[in-house]
Amino acid sequence: MSAKVIFGILLAGVLSNNYAMLQFLGTGTVLQNSRPAKQSLVLGLGTTVVMLLCTLITWPINTCVLAQAEYLQTMAFMVVLIAVVELVHALACKVLDGFCHADFVKFGINSAVLGLCIQNTDLGLGEALITALAVGIGFTLVLILYSRLLEEQWDEEAIPAPFRGLPVSLLTAGMIALALMALNF
Amino acid sequence: MKQNKTSYLVGGSPAALLTLAAAFVMASSADLRAAVGMSVMVIASMLLSAIVMGALGRCIPDGVRLPANLLIITGCVSLIHMLMQAHFPVAVNLLGVYLAALAASPMMVQNAEGDGEAGLGMTVRTALTTALFLATVMIVCALIREALGSASIWGHSIAFLEPVKVPILSGAFGGYLVTAIVMAVINAVAAPRQTEKEEDGK
Repeated sequence: MSAKVIFGILLAGVLSNNYAMLQFLGTGTVLQNSRPAKQSLVLGLGTTVVMLLCTLITWPINTCVLAQAEYLQTMAFMVVLIAVVELVHALACKVLDGFCHADFVKFGINSAVLGLCIQNTDLGLGEALITALAVGIGFTLVLILYSRLLEEQWDEEAIPAPFRGLPVSLLTAGMIALALMALNF
Repeated sequence: MKQNKTSYLVGGSPAALLTLAAAFVMASSADLRAAVGMSVMVIASMLLSAIVMGALGRCIPDGVRLPANLLIITGCVSLIHMLMQAHFPVAVNLLGVYLAALAASPMMVQNAEGDGEAGLGMTVRTALTTALFLATVMIVCALIREALGSASIWGHSIAFLEPVKVPILSGAFGGYLVTAIVMAVINAVAAPRQTEKEEDGK
């Protein structure tokens, strides 16, 4: 795989193929997140590690074991996802203070990771790992961007009452999605 | 004490529930067939998993409740996925990875967090109310997006809508825009009723 291809996959994962904004995988996790930017960064990086580890485990399982039992794919991937999230949480708790309070188990088990593992089965292992890294970085960036937006002082009175809360959040996300769509290359 | 109807939703209110499920509403509402497929999936898998979780609720230790419930939900999602593949392949093809990814959606994770003390009846009622509410929102969004974005309904083109169609509504931005407007309408309808109920309560 050439450097150009790797760079292309990374750029696409972060921008034009952003899972949370354009593919609607993990969007709920981003919209639900009200943590400060620093904590969001840690959780985003934790999710990136989970994505990489899950891809590393599920890809060989899918190729070697699930080829004859495709109907078990979701179940098997979910078992791996839960185990990896619990493992990352337990290890990170020993290293990072405050990680234990962040409820990473509930955060890390999200549709972006499961969807990524399923979609990555169509790729080669190297390509799948780079895609996982790119998607993880893209997810983290969106998470931080959203946290920063929430930290800003909004003039609630300027927004019509029915649009306050989720509707205006969705419209903001739509604007980000529109900007990312323009970077489709 | 009489409970508010919205307390029977996972998350507690329409806004909280839609925050958890917005991704799947947006992902499935570009086409009415996909929305109906996703609605069937959500209703069937939530109901089935609620029955199993409600029945086993008191047997599962609290320490492993979340992973155990998530595996029950995943099992139900896989089962319904296979049934849909056999009987509704069009929707399965349109939805792709989203059907399987539903098992790890925040809505399902929230559902899996239930403490098991609610009992079978309450668990099933919450699941059914939640699923029906989401199905309605998905179908309404899909009707708007498919009609105005692709000038078609259920895959059949509608000639008189062709000149006024807005193709961007079929894309990601359309998903956000239409879901936001539908949510604003729900807020506008629900907020005065909520205020009235609170005043009656006083």
